[in-house]
Amino acid sequence: MSSLRHIGRDLPRPDAPDKATGKALYICDLSLPGMLHGKIKFSEHASARIVHIDTSKAERLPGVRAVLTGENVPEVRFGFMRDNLALKKGRVRQFRDEIAAVAATDPDIAAEAVELIEVEYEPLPAVFCPRQALEEDAPLVHERDASGRPRKSNRLALEVGHATGDLAAARAASRHVVEGEFTTPLIQQSCMGTAGCIARFDARDNLTLWAKTQIPFLAQRDFRGALAAMGLAGRECRVIVPTLGGAFGTGLDTHAYEYIAILLAHRTGRPVKILYDRREEFACLSPRQSSVVHVEQGCDENGKLTFRDVRVLQDNGAYTSWGATYPSVMLLPATSLYQVPVVSFRADIVYTNNTYCQAMRGYGNPELTWAIESNLDELAEVAGIDALDLRRINVNRPGEVTPMGLKVTSCGLEQCLETVGRKLRWSERRGKQRGKRRGVGLASLVHVGGGGRIYRSDGSGVILRFDDYGNVHVSTGAVEMGQGLHAALVVGVAEAVGVRPEQVFINQTDTATCPWDVGTHASRGAYMALSAVMIAAKKAREKIFRFAAGAFAGEVGRNIEKRRKKNPDYRPPDFDLPASLEPEHFDLADGEVFLTAAPDDPALRVGLDRLLRAMHFCRGGDMLTVEAFYDPPTELPDWQKGRGNMSATYAYGAQGAAVEVDTDTGEVTLLGVVAVHDVGRVLNRQTLEGQIYGALAQGIGYALYEEILTERGRILNPGFTDYKIPTVAEMAFPIEVEFVETNDEQGPFGAKGVGEPGLVPTAPAIANAIYDAIGVRIRDLPITPEKILAALATRAERKPR
Amino acid sequence: MKIPLDFQLNGHPTTAEVHPGARLIDLLRDTLGLTGTKEGCGEGECGACTVLVDGRPVNSCLFPAPEVDGSEVVTIEGLAEPGQGLSILQQAFVEGGAIQCGFCSPGMILAAKALLDRNPDPEEGEIRRALAGNLCRCTGYVQIVGAVRAASRKLRASAGEEVR
Amino acid sequence: MRVDDFVYHRPDSVAQAVALLKQLGQGAHFIAGGTDLLPDLKRGRESARHLVALGGLEDLRGVHRQDDGSLRIGALCTLAEVATSPLVREAFPALAEATGMLGAAQIRNQGTLGGNFCRAVPCADTPPICLAADARVLLTDGQRERSVPAREFFVGPRETCRRSEEVMTALVVAPQPEGSGACYQRFTLRGGLALAVASVAARVVLAAGRLEHVDVVLGAVAPVPLPVEACSRLLVGKALDEELLEQAGQAAAEAAQPITDIRGSMEYRREIVAVLTRRALSEAVARAEGRGRYRWEGLR
Repeated sequence: MSSLRHIGRDLPRPDAPDKATGKALYICDLSLPGMLHGKIKFSEHASARIVHIDTSKAERLPGVRAVLTGENVPEVRFGFMRDNLALKKGRVRQFRDEIAAVAATDPDIAAEAVELIEVEYEPLPAVFCPRQALEEDAPLVHERDASGRPRKSNRLALEVGHATGDLAAARAASRHVVEGEFTTPLIQQSCMGTAGCIARFDARDNLTLWAKTQIPFLAQRDFRGALAAMGLAGRECRVIVPTLGGAFGTGLDTHAYEYIAILLAHRTGRPVKILYDRREEFACLSPRQSSVVHVEQGCDENGKLTFRDVRVLQDNGAYTSWGATYPSVMLLPATSLYQVPVVSFRADIVYTNNTYCQAMRGYGNPELTWAIESNLDELAEVAGIDALDLRRINVNRPGEVTPMGLKVTSCGLEQCLETVGRKLRWSERRGKQRGKRRGVGLASLVHVGGGGRIYRSDGSGVILRFDDYGNVHVSTGAVEMGQGLHAALVVGVAEAVGVRPEQVFINQTDTATCPWDVGTHASRGAYMALSAVMIAAKKAREKIFRFAAGAFAGEVGRNIEKRRKKNPDYRPPDFDLPASLEPEHFDLADGEVFLTAAPDDPALRVGLDRLLRAMHFCRGGDMLTVEAFYDPPTELPDWQKGRGNMSATYAYGAQGAAVEVDTDTGEVTLLGVVAVHDVGRVLNRQTLEGQIYGALAQGIGYALYEEILTERGRILNPGFTDYKIPTVAEMAFPIEVEFVETNDEQGPFGAKGVGEPGLVPTAPAIANAIYDAIGVRIRDLPITPEKILAALATRAERKPR
Repeated sequence: MKIPLDFQLNGHPTTAEVHPGARLIDLLRDTLGLTGTKEGCGEGECGACTVLVDGRPVNSCLFPAPEVDGSEVVTIEGLAEPGQGLSILQQAFVEGGAIQCGFCSPGMILAAKALLDRNPDPEEGEIRRALAGNLCRCTGYVQIVGAVRAASRKLRASAGEEVR
Repeated sequence: MRVDDFVYHRPDSVAQAVALLKQLGQGAHFIAGGTDLLPDLKRGRESARHLVALGGLEDLRGVHRQDDGSLRIGALCTLAEVATSPLVREAFPALAEATGMLGAAQIRNQGTLGGNFCRAVPCADTPPICLAADARVLLTDGQRERSVPAREFFVGPRETCRRSEEVMTALVVAPQPEGSGACYQRFTLRGGLALAVASVAARVVLAAGRLEHVDVVLGAVAPVPLPVEACSRLLVGKALDEELLEQAGQAAAEAAQPITDIRGSMEYRREIVAVLTRRALSEAVARAEGRGRYRWEGLR
């Protein structure tokens, strides 16, 4: 391949112009002729028996076409543990349980009809604290599992653990040991575009679903299961992904509202759209789990880490999503962030009557890194070692195999740490600004950077279809959800095939036309799709060059003839075409095929479009379409043992924060944030920076502002006034982003996945800076002004006056 | 009883009839089919539905539709002249990486337009103040603020002003 | 709530508006900007069959300096108009500043000063500073205009002394004497788009370095904006120093009647009140001495 032309350039995203002009079509913008509007009746109790549902008034309301309850529809079971029903029957286990649904000709009529549904409940005991849920006499959230077997405890049968080395011996041999309990709150992903779908059946009962999903193919599989439950086994289920108004993990599962839309569409014979409003998005869509992480770490007299012991308690809520597999990713920081010889990890995931949870960006990693990196600063203080030095001493290095069995191909962590230290002016400022109530802190991360195998395939397919005009149409099962996948695909395809970026078009993700992909998560979108593109591009070039071997001479002849006609004085190039041309004589760049021996003479270059037409419109003609499927050389870990090389490469990074604390009010002001990430290779700097900035802002929200507040399972702040994602007003401090390019041997063009890392170490970096500023450690996110004042007051009481 | 309205929409005289309780966003999206205006919260908490009424940004989800009678309304569909490509501000958002999922972009761009129309050379603090009512979950706002600054420079240059 | 359940009325005069409301009786609401009412209607916290829109009442617009030097601010002035009005900035800059902190540009462009008063949300940002300035609220029933001290206007959360058929026409702020300074401080949990967890307005009049007059009014920590007489008693006749500031903060914290809710605990709100009181008073004094700066400076 010739030297890189497009990789690394700041090419504007292909999807941006439509988004800037209001032309992009999100789920809220789509409608179909005859479409009805669905609305769901949600439970008003966290735990209750449904005694009776009276739908008669709703059914009589003009415009209502169907009213469904768990009693009048087939049982559609779904969820990671198949413990959830599309419409609940007899029993509710959380406030947002779907107990009835309406389809009507107008959204307002549907809403009014839902109000007219009367439900009689008999409240049942409930449990909201995951610790209490583990007690022996705790009420069981589920009396039976999906296959009807009685359950004895609220603990999920999802064991994730790890043990390397002799923990007791390592603890005893440690010079310094610190432990702490760190908690994280329920967080809302807060997509600006709310959840929704449209379901439509054709006359043969084949289903098309426009869905806000990150996993079109796993969703298709789920929905086919629903069709089977409805007596429609074997019918087609086509999933089409419109423009997504953000996803951040909300699209990693299928949702009750989607099944309900399917049931309503089938019952009414008309397309049905369900669109959540913001309150429903907050109260009725699954947020990020809350967690309690207990961590203990030790080091020797030189600061070498001796052991790490981690216990996680994760509140699952009332049902189980893929998010319950968070501990699989928690294993990464637990076992592999810095070199730790002895590691113990155990996670308990517990049913409660709280809202059930699902994944969000970072997938367990921010929760654990928050605990480990905060605790590491405590260890540094106890050991009397500078916090940056402690991290330097234990830094991960390329070639390492970690206790989990992760094979570290490339690792720029040391350089990331050094850069963060330099940019923070660490040695000048750390521990030296307490008088000004200012401080600096930092934290690191390791994350999957080359896919994350938590399913039997971690693969991604791609189809490149070349048209008669030299354009390449790309079909992939990976999803653009705002992160810039299409931008990466455009430069990647242009680079790998040898066409101009404007010749590359990305098709809408559609299970009927795109090849399988496991889903856009684990920062794997660009990594996997581009890895597949590299294989497909190679196939395309081979085919083009094979054809060129026969057709090139004739086309060059026509080139020369044309020039002669225009200009009688034209002199053909002083180059003799070899008597027999071979495929390896050719190259393709900027949409033109040429000989590597004579790349510059325009007469000796043939447009790809001409060759493609020649290939197409001849006797025995052919068209150029290539496909490829890439499944990385990784292992599905053994979760009980917590071992397996789940990613083809690993992303590293370090972030630092400088803060000032107002000790009168407890307010934290960020003075600056530094983010340095080992990204393997920069594919598109602007898009990459956008990923880091955006993840950082979410990390800042996680650290300082965001929390879903609940009272006995009911959500108290279902809106942006009291669920405070950062606005541009708080983000008013310098953010420095820098990339370390380690050119990973596994990655496409050397790149690693980087969608999530920016969020992972943000909170502990800020917490560590706050401690540096005022000597107060908050172990409970978010770090609110009120918590800081309370901690300052407690410390003042403890200190003798 | 529907209410007849007569107003300017993106420079065109427009008549429509609305329900008494209709919000401006309902008029734009449902009655007139201009879906570029997005509903993010319906309660004035996110700014995604921002449009300009008589040059001022308002949340169209809180604006009673009957009140636009006699006003001039500009939506995201009214920024680019047909056949002229994107406006300078839209182009700056595209080129500056200020757009990710794009759901907040129409409202964000209109809030920025109102600022630049009033003050072609805003300080960074003014930009932040003008956009504080527009939530974005994707970008961390860095490239959005950058795009507004870039647009400000370009607009002043195209107006013959010297660019700093 | 169904959108087509409403009847929307657009009267041309105050008299017509009041007549309509009287005629329609219960279930009829005045609506100005609607930024607070519409979400409440949507959430079912309010119900209405008729909305009487005040938007067409030109008499209720504009900011004027009256003959006696007082400032008359029409109730239909948008919050943005108040915040940027040269007259308000000159005559009572602290009100312009407080109004400019509120909500976001979109809300300020649509919400009105009258709405901010008449909806009487305890955390509203314009009332405390107006109470501190002894402003008066003008109300009319179409025949008779009455003038109510802002201090008596608020009766409870979302409750005022305005009778349902009365329209608020204007707010009147008396001319500020020589040596005046005022400041509004609010504490929020986020920089943009935030509601006050606690707020404090302070107004002082200085004469020969001593406090001749002091008004401290708390917001968001009581059912209504709460004047703190104890602060006036403590400070009048004295020159402000650190110790007095501390005591004034304590007095305000003790006077506050905060509740615990999702934005903060009772105890925390008291602490914040003390801090904000100190800051508001010292800034008010600085401004009275001509040293203060207003937060819109540098902003056009």
